[in-house]
Amino acid sequence: MDLRAGRPPFLVCVGAGGVGKTTLAAALGLLSARAGHRTLVMTFDPSLRLKDALGVGAAAHGEEVAVPYDAPGSLHASLLDPRKTFDRLVARYAPDDATRDRILGNPYYDHLAGHLGGILEYMAVERLYEVARERRYDRVILDTPPTRQAIDFLEAPQRIVSFLDSGALKIALKPWFDEDGHLQPGGRRLGFIGRGLERFLDRVVGLQLLRDMSEFFRAFEPLFDGFRQRAQAVENLLASPDAHFLLVAGPGEARIPDTLFFARRLKAAGWRLGPLVVNRVHPRFDGGAEGSSAAERDGRQLFAWLGERHARGVDALRALLPPEQQLVALPLEPDEPTDLAALEAMGRRLQELLRSSATDR
Amino acid sequence: MDLYQRLKSRRLLVVTGKGGVGKSAMTAALGRSLAARGRRTLVLEVDPRENLHQLLDVPPSGGEVTRVAADLYLQNLKPKAVVDWLVDEKVPIPMLARRVKESPVYQRFVEGAPGLQEMAIIGHCLRVVSGQAFSRPRIDTVILDAPATGHGIYLLTAPRLFAEAITDGPFHHLAQQGADFVADPDDAGLVIVTLAEEMPVQEALELRQALAERFGRQPDLLITNGLYPPLPPDAAGAGDPLLELWRRRRRINEDELARLERDWQGPKVELPLLPIDRGPALIGALQERLEAVLLGPRGAA
Repeated sequence: MDLRAGRPPFLVCVGAGGVGKTTLAAALGLLSARAGHRTLVMTFDPSLRLKDALGVGAAAHGEEVAVPYDAPGSLHASLLDPRKTFDRLVARYAPDDATRDRILGNPYYDHLAGHLGGILEYMAVERLYEVARERRYDRVILDTPPTRQAIDFLEAPQRIVSFLDSGALKIALKPWFDEDGHLQPGGRRLGFIGRGLERFLDRVVGLQLLRDMSEFFRAFEPLFDGFRQRAQAVENLLASPDAHFLLVAGPGEARIPDTLFFARRLKAAGWRLGPLVVNRVHPRFDGGAEGSSAAERDGRQLFAWLGERHARGVDALRALLPPEQQLVALPLEPDEPTDLAALEAMGRRLQELLRSSATDR
Repeated sequence: MDLYQRLKSRRLLVVTGKGGVGKSAMTAALGRSLAARGRRTLVLEVDPRENLHQLLDVPPSGGEVTRVAADLYLQNLKPKAVVDWLVDEKVPIPMLARRVKESPVYQRFVEGAPGLQEMAIIGHCLRVVSGQAFSRPRIDTVILDAPATGHGIYLLTAPRLFAEAITDGPFHHLAQQGADFVADPDDAGLVIVTLAEEMPVQEALELRQALAERFGRQPDLLITNGLYPPLPPDAAGAGDPLLELWRRRRRINEDELARLERDWQGPKVELPLLPIDRGPALIGALQERLEAVLLGPRGAA
C-alpha cells in the first residue's frame, strides 16, 4: 500500500483500544494530503493535544474542519459525536416534523439511544455513508471507536440489516397498545386470556417499557428503510476494493491472540486487510547491563527486556500470519507526536517501513 | 477508616481505565490481596474472550464460578446469561421459559437493547453479594474487571438511565436496585487504572469528573501503572540511544504525574514497569507492591 497513490479511497484503521490508532490515522492523513489528495480524517477519540493539533477541539462535534497544514492536497478532520449524529439523522430523514418530534421526544430514545454501547458504531456507519456519498474527498481515513473487542464497529452494518430484516421488528411494529395503553389483542379480542397475557407481560417485562419501546419503533418506522439501505451500502463499500483495512496492534506476546483474532475475522468477512502495524515497539539495544549505579543497571536491564520481549512478540506474530500478510513494526518514539510536524514524520517513517517490507517479500 | 480497610469493606469494586493499562492485572492482584486477608472475593470478568484465568493460573471458567485459592473465586460472565436466568426466574414454567429464550425476538432484544447488558452485569454483582445468584460460595466482595472507560461509565450509569427511562414494572425495580447499589457510598467503590501518559490520564480525569457529576462520588483509588524508573542523575552517556529513550519516556511519565498531582485529589498508588512476563508471577509481584503501599511495610509482611 502506498498512500501517496490515490487508491484506496477509504482506509479504515482498526485494532484494540489504546494501541495508537487515532494518532496513526492522523499521521496517514497528513501523508495523504502531502501527496496531493483531498483527505478527511474521521476520528472518535483523539487526545487533547491531537485535538489541538488537528484543530477539532474547538469545533462542533461532527463538523469537518480544515487542518491548518500547508500541503499540495488538503486535510480536513472531524470528531464524531454519536448523539448529535443520531439527532441530525432523525431530523434529516424523518418524513415530517411530527415524526421527528415523536422520535426525539420518546423517553426510550432520549434516555438510552444516545448514551449506550452500539450507538457509536451505528452512527459511524451513517457518517461514513454521508461522506462517501458527498464525494468531496479523494481519500477518507476512518479511525474506529475505542471498543475492547473492536470488531463491533465492523459488524454494525450487518447487525443493522439483520435486525431490520428480522421478525423482531415486524412484531415490534404491530399496534400492540390501544389509546388507553392497554394491550390491544388482550383488551379487545382475546378476552380473559388477553388480560392474563397482559398481567404476565407486566410481571415479566413491565408494560411501560413495552409501551415506550413499541412507540419508539413505530415512530421510527418511516426511517427504517433508509437505515437498512444505507447500512447495506456501507457494507458493500467496506467489502469493495475501495476500502482497505490497516490493523494496528500493541506490542508484546500477550497481544497476539487479539491481533490474530482480528486479522482472521477481517479476512473471513471478505474485507481487504492491508498492512498490519505493530505500534510502539521497544527498540532492541546492543550492549550489556553495565552502568555506573545499580539503578542504571536495573534500568538498562528493563529496556533490554522490553526490547527482547517486543521483538519476540513481533517474530511470533509474523510466524503465525500467512506469508503474504505484510507486517511492520513501528518503533516506540522517545516523544509522543503531538504536533503536525511530528505526526508527518511518523507517517513518513511508517511509509518507509511499508515500502521496505514490501520489497523484502 | 484507612484506605485498605475501605477497599476491603466494599461489596463491589469496579476496576476500570483505558484499554491496555493493566486493568485485568490490577483486578487479579486486588482479588488475591483481599482474599489473602479473609475477604471472600469473586473476580468477575465480562470480556467474551477469557483471559483472567491465565493471570490467576486456573483453567478457563466457561461461565461457571471457579475456585482459585482460599476465599478467591473467578467467573467469566456473559451478560446474556444473566438475562436468561432472569427469564427462568420470572417464568415459572420451564417449557415456556425455554420458548421465550429460543425466540429470535428475545435474542435480538437482549443483544440490541441499549443498556440492558450493562444493567445485567450490575444486577448480577448485586445478586452475588446478596446470596441470590448462588448460595455457595458466599461472596463478600465482587471485583469487576470493567470494560474500557468509555463503556465503564455507562456500566455505572446504565441502571439509573434504565430506571429513569422505564418508570414502572419489574425492569424498573431491578434497575432501581442496581442504581442504588452502585450509588451507595458504603457498598460500591471504583478503582481507576492508568498509565502516566496523556490519553489514559485524560480519561481517568474525565471519568473522575463524570463520577462526581452523576453520583457525587469520588473513586476509591487511582493506580498509575507501568512507570519507567527515574533516570539516575549520574547516568550521563550522551548519545546513548537507550538512555535518551529512557530519559524522554520518563519525562512523559513525570509530566503526567505532575498533572495528576495537580488535578487528582484522593488516594493514588504508583507502580513501576516490571520486567516480568504477563502471568501469575506478575500478579504476585503487583500484589506485593500494592500492599507495600496500601498497608505499609509492616502490613505487607
